[in-house]
Amino acid sequence: MFDNILNGFASIFAVGPILGIIVGVVVGLVFGAIPGISGIMAIAIILPLTFYVDPIIGITMLLAVYKSSIYGGSISAILINTPGAAASFLTAMDGNPLAKSGKAGKALDLSLYSSVTGEMLATLVLIFVAAPISIISLQAGPIEKVFLLLFAFTVVGSLAGKSISRGLLSCCLGMIFAMVGLSTITGASRFTFGSLELMSGFTFTPMLIGVLVMPEVISTIRKRLTPHHEMALKKSPNPADNRISWREYRSLLPTIIKASGIGTFIGALPGLGSSTAAFISYGEAKRVSKTPEKFGKGSLEGIASAESANNAVCGSSMIPMLTLSIPGDDVAALLMGAFLIHGLTPGPMIFFDNAEVIYAIFAGFLLTDFFLLFIARSGFRLWIKVASLKRYFIFPCVTVFAFVGAFTANQNMNDVLMLILFTIFGYGMRLVGLNPAVFIIGFILTPFLEQNLDQSIAIVGTDYHLFFASPFSWVFTALAAFFVYSTIKMKKKEAAKLAALIGDGAK
Amino acid sequence: MDRRKIDIAMTSIFVIASVIILTNDNLSQGGVQTDLGSMFLPRLVALCIIVISATIGIQSILQLSRGEALTSEDRINTEGFDGVWIYVGNFVLYWFAVPYVGFLVATPIAMMVIAILLGGRNWVPIISMSLITPFAVFYLCREFLRVFLPTWSL
Repeated sequence: MFDNILNGFASIFAVGPILGIIVGVVVGLVFGAIPGISGIMAIAIILPLTFYVDPIIGITMLLAVYKSSIYGGSISAILINTPGAAASFLTAMDGNPLAKSGKAGKALDLSLYSSVTGEMLATLVLIFVAAPISIISLQAGPIEKVFLLLFAFTVVGSLAGKSISRGLLSCCLGMIFAMVGLSTITGASRFTFGSLELMSGFTFTPMLIGVLVMPEVISTIRKRLTPHHEMALKKSPNPADNRISWREYRSLLPTIIKASGIGTFIGALPGLGSSTAAFISYGEAKRVSKTPEKFGKGSLEGIASAESANNAVCGSSMIPMLTLSIPGDDVAALLMGAFLIHGLTPGPMIFFDNAEVIYAIFAGFLLTDFFLLFIARSGFRLWIKVASLKRYFIFPCVTVFAFVGAFTANQNMNDVLMLILFTIFGYGMRLVGLNPAVFIIGFILTPFLEQNLDQSIAIVGTDYHLFFASPFSWVFTALAAFFVYSTIKMKKKEAAKLAALIGDGAK
Repeated sequence: MDRRKIDIAMTSIFVIASVIILTNDNLSQGGVQTDLGSMFLPRLVALCIIVISATIGIQSILQLSRGEALTSEDRINTEGFDGVWIYVGNFVLYWFAVPYVGFLVATPIAMMVIAILLGGRNWVPIISMSLITPFAVFYLCREFLRVFLPTWSL
């Protein structure tokens, strides 16, 4: 394994991958910092550009966009109280009061150092844990994989939707869309209605951009009358307010490490995501803090815990994707699509078939942290200026990039039509409470399910009881049932809390 | 807009589509014979869609029949939809125009429409952006990605 890690570093220290990382960090920082544009939008727009480069360059660039966009979200959160990403909501709660009191530099510095520390710790866990887990998951045959995928569908569907039924419905819709075109098992054409264009199924990139990215543009169009917030970094005359000292950082280190641990654990579980990690670690930091009353009013511990937890999720969310082929959230689903486009099939075999590439990507993951630290630290003012661009400069460009991204996939105008149709579909899904990310996860995982199901049936023949002969089957069925049960309980609890709050408000 | 009514319409469509998947044998053509067959998984998923859609639809019907008050979650805000239609219309026209007038002609117009829709009135920077971006994208796609965007064909 250590040989592989060293080889990975040898591959990443070349002009191409390093340039890719730098471009990725800059794009991610800018996109993350612009309110209304998320990291996922940046990744989806950059994705078509990576088709034409080596997988090591392409994937590390996408991962750099992902990591830096999460940090970028905290810039607008701190300066104008508008989180660029949902996970930065808690950073805004403590960072903005600090910015208002003239300590924006301190808040931005702390947010950067916490993000980078959280990311690095999670990446180290990813590097050292993923390969051993993959060896265990290699023991799983087609039957076990069927149960694993059913478990993934259930967990992601039930946790990510507004309600369990809507989450599962989104997943089922994604599954149906994945079955359009020629079946990879039987070669039959399904749901094509005689159209030759549908024979190869829906092209992934236009669908992805349409369902995940363009609805955000439409949301901005709807909110076009709300005033634009100008970001500005005011420097305090007291130098101590503009930076974080080593002493301050050292005193916050236990909080950062604990929050990174929570973030890493939550990120490794499918369906929970960075917001959950940030909320749990923030709550924990407040619980053990000597000054809990400061939380929400400019607490350094608050920023450190929220930022390190939500950034730690970046690394660990790759664990289920790379070891079990289960993307835990929307970004992981998107990255899984990118891996597949580059001819790398996420799953345990990736550590054997593409060891050089995967360890180079891991090395790139670590290197991204250094570049993020250096690039973000060197140009706060520049990033803030770029991120303050008016939306009528940004969104026309996003639309053109989306158009070109969709066209690039097959150099075909039909794909642009698909982009438009999926934009309407994706926005409609959001309006009725369906989850586009779960839809994409369903779309990506269905071919694997179908393949493994077919192999399983070939193995068991007519002895269907053999499906339940393996302990894996029982474990995953029990886990799926447990997740659904606990989600129902959690949602009921939340509803009761909300009802009590409304009741109190009415009184 | 009442989301419960939308739910009923949406789930009805899903149920009808799923019933078609379950009953129509012409949705799959050709292919080799396997133990499961080509339509096993689509039909299994269709069955799941019927069950889940029924759960959502019936809940909404019950809420409407009981005359329950609209909560904030059940209300779909339609404010600003006029802009959405303009944006989508602009995108469709853009898609339609590109094969004929080419990427370099259609793109600046489409970009300017979106910028104006978003409230942009700084004409010089908007026009500059609308001209420079398509040229840059066209050149970069051609030279580096080997992607040839459509050109004037009239």
